[in-house]
Amino acid sequence: MTGPAILFDRVDLTLGRTVILDGVSLRVAAGTVHAVVGPNGGGKSSLIRALLGQAPHRGTIRLDWPGDGPGTVAYVPQSVEFDRGLPLTVEDFLAVLCQRRPAFLGPDRRMNYGAALDRVGMAGKARRRFGALSGGERQRVLLAQALIPAPDLIVLDEPMTALDEAGIAIFETLLAELSAAGTTVLWVEHDLAQVRRLATRVTGLNRRVLFDGAPLEMLSPERVFDLFSAVPRRTEAERIAS
Amino acid sequence: MSFEALRALVQGWAGAGLLPAGLTHGFLVNALLSGLVIGPVLGGLGTLVVTKRLAFFSEAVGHAALTGVAIGILVGEPYTGPYASLFGYCLLFALLVNYTRNRSNLTADTLIGVFLSVSLALGASLLLILASRVNIHILENVLFGSVLTVDDRDLTVLLAVAVGVTALMLPLFNRLLLASFNPALARVRGVPVKGLDYLFIVLVTVVTVASVKIIGAILVGALLVIPAAAARVVASSLRGFFLLSVAFASVAAVAGILLPVQLALPVPSGGAIILAAGLLFLGALLARLFMKGEEG
Repeated sequence: MTGPAILFDRVDLTLGRTVILDGVSLRVAAGTVHAVVGPNGGGKSSLIRALLGQAPHRGTIRLDWPGDGPGTVAYVPQSVEFDRGLPLTVEDFLAVLCQRRPAFLGPDRRMNYGAALDRVGMAGKARRRFGALSGGERQRVLLAQALIPAPDLIVLDEPMTALDEAGIAIFETLLAELSAAGTTVLWVEHDLAQVRRLATRVTGLNRRVLFDGAPLEMLSPERVFDLFSAVPRRTEAERIAS
Repeated sequence: MSFEALRALVQGWAGAGLLPAGLTHGFLVNALLSGLVIGPVLGGLGTLVVTKRLAFFSEAVGHAALTGVAIGILVGEPYTGPYASLFGYCLLFALLVNYTRNRSNLTADTLIGVFLSVSLALGASLLLILASRVNIHILENVLFGSVLTVDDRDLTVLLAVAVGVTALMLPLFNRLLLASFNPALARVRGVPVKGLDYLFIVLVTVVTVASVKIIGAILVGALLVIPAAAARVVASSLRGFFLLSVAFASVAAVAGILLPVQLALPVPSGGAIILAAGLLFLGALLARLFMKGEEG
């Protein structure tokens, strides 16, 4: 199965009196790597939360799955909150996430955690304490968990923040593999250079959609300046309308 | 096998010198059975309590049991086991704390502190009213636990709670843990985070209440925390953490019940159990320091 197409249609999200998303409409094509960029507080993570059904919103968010029913959705958060001193190995962490059998009884061999760890360059570190890993290594483990089971849609929330050079290379390979497999990738990212290189399409979001198109075309200095302005300038459509 | 038959069997073995002589007494066999039933459950559940940073909450629920007992006696329940009031009040207390925690901007420890203080104030006031009605010394058993007061009804309650909690905790162990790591990730993985949050609070509460008879209201929360804390200090994997916590809680429960009788020490069972757990914790800390020293 290839990934789904995603349609956001006039999505509004308000927390208290603060407007987080204001009439956001965009389409993520099936099997593409679609990046969402924008300033902090611009609503990128809220868009993800709304997509995952975890934020009350108005408007429509629809996933069009190619097969009979929904496929596998994976999510890579920016970080996980946990007690760093917890006696939890990397393998334990994956077992907690991926299997039904209590993780303290050991890993379910059918899950093949080793293969997923291998793909993110963490082979041989299954027995390392999760809390003792570097930020980049933890981020790689978070990527590994998203590969079990193989995802049809993967949602990435700034996955490159803590990655080092080697980690970034692994992430790039992974993204290419997912794309080749037809997985839809929705990728929130702040590193515009990486988005320019790796994404099929990019959406600029600062409460509203400010631009949406091919990265090389969209990420011009003027648009990027607009996007990261405290108060977003009017969109092209608004300019024409006025 | 009924409790009566089991008791007779253990008493027979004790009479034949196969077990400590104290176990020829039926009441001590009852206490030992209750310790063996609830110890492992408290140890296992304790790993989740420590991981989810709910140690203070479990202490507060234990203390709420004091008020539950006072209400029970006040409304005419038997003072040896006012279970309806105990379970009712403690569940209400726990659910209210959790409900408010999700809807206030207070940190969990502040909120629990408020609820605990108010609950204790209520309990203390009710106990003063009760002082003129019943022998207040009976309440010492409630506060610190007593091996003398465990009867077949208590054993039945303990067994039912232990089986029920284990049957829910084991299949849901990963999901309960994952919900505390990252709720958003847990939800994507199909974990009903809010529902499990409440379920866990209920599990902790019923185990705590069922253990009040043997450990006492003041100390019962400690057996959820100390063995798991000791295991966390020395374990290097989740397996070690869980199994050591179960072992420490079981050893502490059995030692705390048997040793005061064997050594003729005038110590309440609850106090002895927690002191035994405290010694295990100290041992774990020393072992950790020793291991660190060896590492260099």
